[in-house]
Amino acid sequence: MFGRRYAGLDQPARRVGAVLEASDFDPGRSGRNHLRALALAIDIDFGRVEEVLDIVDLGDAAHRRVKTYSLGMRQRLGLAGALLGDPELLLLDEPANGLDPEGVHWLRGLLRQFAKQGRTVLISSHVLAEVAQVVDAVLIIDRGRLVASREMTELTGGDRSLEDLYLELTAKERV
Amino acid sequence: MTAQLRSELFKQRTTRTTLGLVLAMVVLVAAVILLHVVALPTQGLTGRQGQLKVLGLGTTFGMIFGSLLGALSITTEIRNGMIRPTLLAMPNRSRVVAAKVMACLIAGAALGLFSEAIAVGMGAAGLAARGIQIAPSVGDFAQLLVGGAAAAALWAAIGVGIGATLRNQVGAAISLVVWLLFIEMTVIGVAPAVGKFLPGASGGALAGAMLQETATYLLVPAVGALLMVAYAALAIGAGLVTTARRDIN
Repeated sequence: MFGRRYAGLDQPARRVGAVLEASDFDPGRSGRNHLRALALAIDIDFGRVEEVLDIVDLGDAAHRRVKTYSLGMRQRLGLAGALLGDPELLLLDEPANGLDPEGVHWLRGLLRQFAKQGRTVLISSHVLAEVAQVVDAVLIIDRGRLVASREMTELTGGDRSLEDLYLELTAKERV
Repeated sequence: MTAQLRSELFKQRTTRTTLGLVLAMVVLVAAVILLHVVALPTQGLTGRQGQLKVLGLGTTFGMIFGSLLGALSITTEIRNGMIRPTLLAMPNRSRVVAAKVMACLIAGAALGLFSEAIAVGMGAAGLAARGIQIAPSVGDFAQLLVGGAAAAALWAAIGVGIGATLRNQVGAAISLVVWLLFIEMTVIGVAPAVGKFLPGASGGALAGAMLQETATYLLVPAVGALLMVAYAALAIGAGLVTTARRDIN
C-alpha cells in the first residue's frame, strides 16, 4: 500500500481505513466506546469519534452496547472505525452486506462523496450488479490471480455487463 | 506505545468483564475468609503462622483473578474479532501485546491489592470478633498487601502471555485456574521441595503467605520475585512468538 507493507506505514490508520469483517467488536462495549478505544490507539481526539458517528448516522445508538445492533448498524460502525483516521484510501469487504435498500443507497452516496474528494475506495465484493453501480474501475481476481483491470467506461458501451465480463474471463481460466 | 496503553486501559474500563471479575473475586474472597474465620477451631487461628495462612488467601485469589484478567484481555479480542481493528490501528503486534501486558500489570496490581485488603480487613475483624489476639506484625500486613498486589500483577502478565499463546478463551482461563488451584497444590503436597519454586508459590512468596502456606515453607520474597519475573517473561515471550507467527483470521 502506497508502495509499502501496511505495517511499514507511518500511522497507517491515517492513510488507510479498512473493514475486513462485518462484526469485529466486543459486543459488550458501546459503539461510542469502541470508536474511542480505537481513537486512543491512533492518537485521535474524541471529537472525531462524534464526527464519524454523525457520518454513519449512528449518533443515537452510540451509547448502546454493540450486541443490540443490527447487522446493518454493525456495518456502519465498522465503517465509522475505518473513517476515524480520515484516510485517503478505504478498503471494504462486502460493505453492503446486511444493509437494507435504504442503507445500500446511503452507502453508495457516502462512498461517492468520499471518492469525489479525490480519495480512493477499494471494494471487494461478489455482488457484481451492486458494484457496477458505484465503481469507476474493476479488478477481477480469480483464484488469487488478477485476470482483468478495466475502466467502467470501457464496459458501458455495448450491452455487456460486468457480470458478462466476469463470467467470460473466469470461464476461460477454467478451460 | 503510550497511545496503545491508553487504549488498552480504556478497553478494560468499558466492558462489564472487568467489573464481573472484580465482583466474583470479592464474593469468593469474602466467603472463603468468613468461612475460615468462623469455622476454624481457635487453636488453628492463634499464632502468627496460623493467622497468616488465612490472611494469605487474598493473595491466592488475587493471582487467580489477575491471571484471568490478563488472559481475557487478549483471548476475548481474538474470539470476538476486535483483534482485527486493534491490529489495523497498531500493526506492530509486539507493541499491542506489550501494551496489554502493561495495562494488565496495572489492573492486576489493583485487583491483588483489593483482594488482599478484603482478606486482611475481614480476617482481622473476624479474629477480633472471636476475641483472638492478632499476631502478625505491621510488617507482615504490609508485605501481604504489597506482595499480594505484586503477585497478582505478575500473574496478570503471565495471563496475557498464556492467553496470547493458547488464543482460546475458555482453554486459557481453565488452564490458569487448574494450574493454580490443582496442579500446583498437588505438586506442593507431593514434592514440596520442588513445589515452592513453581509460579504460584513464587507469587505467594512475595506476600509471605498464600493458600495454606506461609513463610516457613515459601521462598524468601526476593527469590520469589525474581522467579515470578522470569516466569512472566517466559509466558510473554511465548505469547509474542505465537502472536507474531500466527495469522489473524
